[in-house]
Amino acid sequence: MATSSTTSRSLTLRRVESVDAATTVQHVDQLDEETLEAFYRALEGGRSLAATGTDLELGTVVVATDYYRVEPR
Amino acid sequence: MTEYVIIGDGISGSSAAETLREEDPESSITVITDEGEPLYNRILIKEHAKGKLPEAPISIHDEGWYEERDIDLSLNTHVTGLDTDAKTIHTHEGADISYDKLLIATGGTPTQLPVDNSDADGIHHFWTFQDARKIRESADAADEGVIVGAGLLGIDFAAVCGAQGVEGKYLMRGDRWWRYALSNEGAEIMHEGMREKGVEPVFDSGVDHFETDDDGRVVAAVDPNGDRYECDFAGVAIGLTFNTEFLGDIGLEQENGILVDEYMQTNLEDVYAAGDITRFHDVLLGERAQNGSWGSAKEQGRVAGVNMAADDEAEGFQWVSSYSITHFDFPFLSFGHPTLGDDYAERKYSDTEWRRVAFKDGKIVGGVLIGDLSPQSKFKQLMREQRVVADQKEVLLEQTVDLDNLAPPQEQ
Repeated sequence: MATSSTTSRSLTLRRVESVDAATTVQHVDQLDEETLEAFYRALEGGRSLAATGTDLELGTVVVATDYYRVEPR
Repeated sequence: MTEYVIIGDGISGSSAAETLREEDPESSITVITDEGEPLYNRILIKEHAKGKLPEAPISIHDEGWYEERDIDLSLNTHVTGLDTDAKTIHTHEGADISYDKLLIATGGTPTQLPVDNSDADGIHHFWTFQDARKIRESADAADEGVIVGAGLLGIDFAAVCGAQGVEGKYLMRGDRWWRYALSNEGAEIMHEGMREKGVEPVFDSGVDHFETDDDGRVVAAVDPNGDRYECDFAGVAIGLTFNTEFLGDIGLEQENGILVDEYMQTNLEDVYAAGDITRFHDVLLGERAQNGSWGSAKEQGRVAGVNMAADDEAEGFQWVSSYSITHFDFPFLSFGHPTLGDDYAERKYSDTEWRRVAFKDGKIVGGVLIGDLSPQSKFKQLMREQRVVADQKEVLLEQTVDLDNLAPPQEQ
């Protein structure tokens, strides 16, 4: 889980140090089953987020062992 | 027009309100909460207390959300009584609010340690957003902290100490953290994570009493062995007391929570309950269970809303819960009911990887994954399928779990 930034065909999870007040933030426990699995696979450098299908929106920060922002590739 | 009243605006109450509006557009919906703000993200408030997240992203609904859905929201309102014959609830302001169907989603309040000076300044409990604000401020000014409560809630205080630069002592009654779900091997990974954050676990300890200064502020915790731990910050998380006192003696069946069936119905007609406060019939476990996770509470609220609107047993609650700890460099996931069951399998894979799977009647009922979460969806799938797999532990403990390696399911 040391990966800080992984890419997919259309989305990137980028580790961020902080978030501002306007950011939408979700905890991993809020993700549905499919999105959670896709999220962790993306962190591990496996399958892409977009290809797997998720309900994450661009700009959202997900709180896991670090904070990860969903960004366009 | 049906009148729905929901007591509690946590995720279960709010989820029920949203569902009711969708299922019964012409109805009257009232949500009552004793808190001063609408629904917020209870699983993110720990990040605020750690000093990492600003307040704004933690808010989920503003008051406009309720107005847009024609839901009447009453903040800062305490329900003081319930008359199930008259179908009326009473509030602290003397108001009587009538209902056709009622949902109780009042959750709990952190239990206070039954020791001297446990209400001193500087001693915190962690449940509401307002708690988190105070903890953030207090920890920011503190140098030494003491944490009590060796479970999933207590570890959040350890994380707050670590993030805020507070040198912490984590006083545990037993020989390890969350001893009901983790063996020594699994717990030691968590202990090492705490130490890396500057929090030292202290075993076979606990708190006999707190010491205070002349201003009533905590200065130390003394454990049952007589050892004294100086502190200007203390976090106590030894469990929840469920908020049912206001109900009085109305014949509602309770057993450390409100008893409901899988449709979220209590034993009283037109009275439902959802969220942390319920002891529900878990159809996967085959017995009553309790669960405080966000997803479970949200789904219970939704299912309650569906059945209240249908005035029928339209949908049962079936859910495999997840609870993550995200404070350390390695991930941690508890799923289902890892402390229940009659059999288990576990294995350590590395200094940061460990797995436990709990079984009942040969079926998976829960587990804990540390470091490597990759099998979680497969284990949850086996839980939902209620497949007997306890006789194939080696397959489940392989580093990479391949369900194709399991023997075909037998007729049961």
